Amino acid sequence: MRIGIFLLCAVGLLGFFPRGSGAEETPTFNLSEIEKEVQKKPYWFGGFLQVQPTLSGLDSDSPLYRLKYYDNEPGGTLEQSNLGARLEGALEYGDLRAFARLDSFLTHDHDGWHGEMTLMEGYITYKPGPHMAVDAGKRVTKWGKGYAWNPVAFVDRPKDPEDPEEALQGYYLLGGDFIRSFDGPLQTLAFTPVILPVYEDINDEFGQTGYVNVAAKLYALLWDTDLDLLFFSGHSRTTRLGGDFSKNLLTNLEIHGEVAWIQDFQEIDFLENGQVATRESNVWSYLLGLRYLTETDLTAILEYYHNGEGVDPNDLKNMYAYINRAYDTNKQTGNRSLFGPINRLTKEGFSWRNPLRDYLYLRLSQKEPFDILYFTPAFTTIVTMNDWSFNLMPELNYSPITNLDLRLRGIIPVGGDQTEYGEKQSDWRVEFRLRYFF
Amino acid sequence: MFKVIKLLTVLALASVPAYAVDGNAILAQVDKRLAPESYEMYRKLVNVEPDGRKKEFILFTVKKGTDKIAGLFISPASDKGRTTLRLGENMWLYIPNVGKPVRITSLQSVIGGVFNNADILQLDYGAEYDVVKVDDLEKEYLLHLKAKTRAVAYDRLSMWVDKEKTLPTKIECRTEADMLIKTLYFKQIKDFGGGIVRPAVIETDSPLYKGYRSYMIFAGVKARDVPDEAFTPNFMPRIESLR
Repeated sequence: MRIGIFLLCAVGLLGFFPRGSGAEETPTFNLSEIEKEVQKKPYWFGGFLQVQPTLSGLDSDSPLYRLKYYDNEPGGTLEQSNLGARLEGALEYGDLRAFARLDSFLTHDHDGWHGEMTLMEGYITYKPGPHMAVDAGKRVTKWGKGYAWNPVAFVDRPKDPEDPEEALQGYYLLGGDFIRSFDGPLQTLAFTPVILPVYEDINDEFGQTGYVNVAAKLYALLWDTDLDLLFFSGHSRTTRLGGDFSKNLLTNLEIHGEVAWIQDFQEIDFLENGQVATRESNVWSYLLGLRYLTETDLTAILEYYHNGEGVDPNDLKNMYAYINRAYDTNKQTGNRSLFGPINRLTKEGFSWRNPLRDYLYLRLSQKEPFDILYFTPAFTTIVTMNDWSFNLMPELNYSPITNLDLRLRGIIPVGGDQTEYGEKQSDWRVEFRLRYFF
Repeated sequence: MFKVIKLLTVLALASVPAYAVDGNAILAQVDKRLAPESYEMYRKLVNVEPDGRKKEFILFTVKKGTDKIAGLFISPASDKGRTTLRLGENMWLYIPNVGKPVRITSLQSVIGGVFNNADILQLDYGAEYDVVKVDDLEKEYLLHLKAKTRAVAYDRLSMWVDKEKTLPTKIECRTEADMLIKTLYFKQIKDFGGGIVRPAVIETDSPLYKGYRSYMIFAGVKARDVPDEAFTPNFMPRIESLR
């Protein structure tokens, strides 16, 4: 199956898809047919089908490998196949619109088949006019201007910086959007309040349950600059304040930034013996980035991110050492309990995805090189500045025919012992993704 | 003495052309003939590759005044729901998956191929260009246009305008260094109703994409006044509701 799918990938990326025969044919356009095509229906249904095989070269000495696979080790390489669909639909009735996005995927790996169905978003919008809308249901707010990270996304799940354009799962909330336009330097003012309940059966992954939280964003387009002021208040997480901006300095150069202040954040110190000490302190997270387009259609995105919620590199080293000890103990005695402190941390919100404090992100993508239409090769790297480990992600994107998107990507973490990328569970990963939209 | 003055006056008047062509006035007429100042329209964009393969997009557009325009892709499925917004020199792209408006530039292309964002989010020619020279040809005017700011995708345009219809027949788009980027050919004049009679097809070729051709086909062009709030980044996810 693996060989077949990678062959399909190679064939697709080389462009051997069926082509039309009429090279010199002059198209004719029936204008009345086009009038029919653009007629609107009150409902809509669409989405995509996906095939995504992945091959990983695992590092069995890595603490993250040991943490994940200590009771069921897959060996040196791991094949994973992901098959499924994303289904989207909308229904409109007067000023009301209902929308839903459902992910339904089957994954096959060394452990067999696993299925997962997730309601990514599902909400109803009441929109009496362009100046106002009210949403109720599960939805994503996507606050912030950063490409790879968004420290001011106070009511969203964190993005995956290795795939920042991928759709996220939302939270159940009640939200509004109130917009006013003006003449003069202040062109737009918009207020976006959000009410986010967190209870046992609703949004319980967000934070402490049993509370109703509020958040809001005030947006202004002032002197051709996007500006946002944001806040979050509630008992599920501590109070947060933030701001962001985005502006085109030149027609081909955009700069953006975000800053977030987090009150009473629980900083952790992970000791070598597995004990976790916490202390409350106010922390800052911030991001500064730019997007630049060259005359040759090369787009560069560069971002620096300071993660105020990150841990000290020494704490990460202590975690790695502790996991290795827990793994050895488990192998000798079968005792799993030593993994407890690490698993508790993960459950309480600690993320192995960019856990340290300072990062650089660079993405270079070249549109349609060598006159190959709809072909975009790209190269991305994420550098951990605290230990100078990094990952390299070359990729090829191609859309040879309408509604078919192909992506071939490699991910190679590079770093020394006890560094973030040096201790990833894979030494390398190759993935191919085929999406057919309908 | 009186006869001499009269003779000199006649000679002086004779040395001035019977009329001076006002290029900017012609350009204003062209803009007015192409679309009302505030409108809605549908456009089908077709990229045709040298081997005959086609890729088609359908775009719904609303425009207001001289500096506000927004677009929504309604097909193909892979691009459905993408919206673009232009407020003066500010441009944003909203992709449903990404979930937030991202600033873009006029030179980028959200669809690939010959069309770039400036073509999709084009304002009135008179809002972006000054006429610096007019050549009076037999049946056409040749207007030489220069961009008012550097934010415009093409620094210079050469526009051939049919004298009788006051509609463009051909536009060459050039860089500041006078390099030809693309040529637009205006075809198939159609009566869209409401007094709007304009070319329904614009064919494009480019020396940068040899053998490739692109077509923009217009449908449902009509005057419409949309509230200013529809031209804001916050409204981008809901442009569909204007259809």
